Amino acid sequence: MNGVRVRVARRSGVYTIWTACLLALAAVLAGDVAAQTAPELGADPAMVKGPATVPVTIVEFSDYQ
Amino acid sequence: MKDYDGRVRLVFKDFPLPSHALARPAHEAARCAASLGRFWPYHDRLFAGQPDFGRDDLVRYAVETGLPRAAFERCIDERRFASAVEADVAKARELGVRSTPTFFINGRPLVGAHPVETFRKVIDDALKAAR
Repeated sequence: MNGVRVRVARRSGVYTIWTACLLALAAVLAGDVAAQTAPELGADPAMVKGPATVPVTIVEFSDYQ
Repeated sequence: MKDYDGRVRLVFKDFPLPSHALARPAHEAARCAASLGRFWPYHDRLFAGQPDFGRDDLVRYAVETGLPRAAFERCIDERRFASAVEADVAKARELGVRSTPTFFINGRPLVGAHPVETFRKVIDDALKAAR
């Protein structure tokens, strides 16, 4: 019986590790997606007013015409 | 922007609407101005010159804003920044932008031209949230 309990406990531990790995992977992927969709990404520095260290960034998509 | 000096950054992105035939060359011209170090004066001159965006107009605005004529003409004629403008358009579409102007204030969208009070409110909220 004790052997069975140990095996179940080990399996449970393995599942916990796998779940943690999958959650970590999902978090990394979600971060990548968020970074890819950040409006200011790829901005030409010449088309920016103000330093990058400020707390608020306004991104304006505009049309000259 | 002056009232929020040191607390707010403004990023300009190109989104020439397909219905505005002369907008895209104007955006490419502004990128040329940026590459020659005069983006913001040229940007302001374009808005003041709406809707006159023929090639001669674009070159005249460049000369008026102190840009070197020959280098500017070469840049617009080669369409050196066509892909950069297109990249902004693609980004805008990815973000769901459909009309101009569209703003993102710390990621929060604000569509259309709003009274300055609206901007103050959204910026003040964003500043509070950033504390």
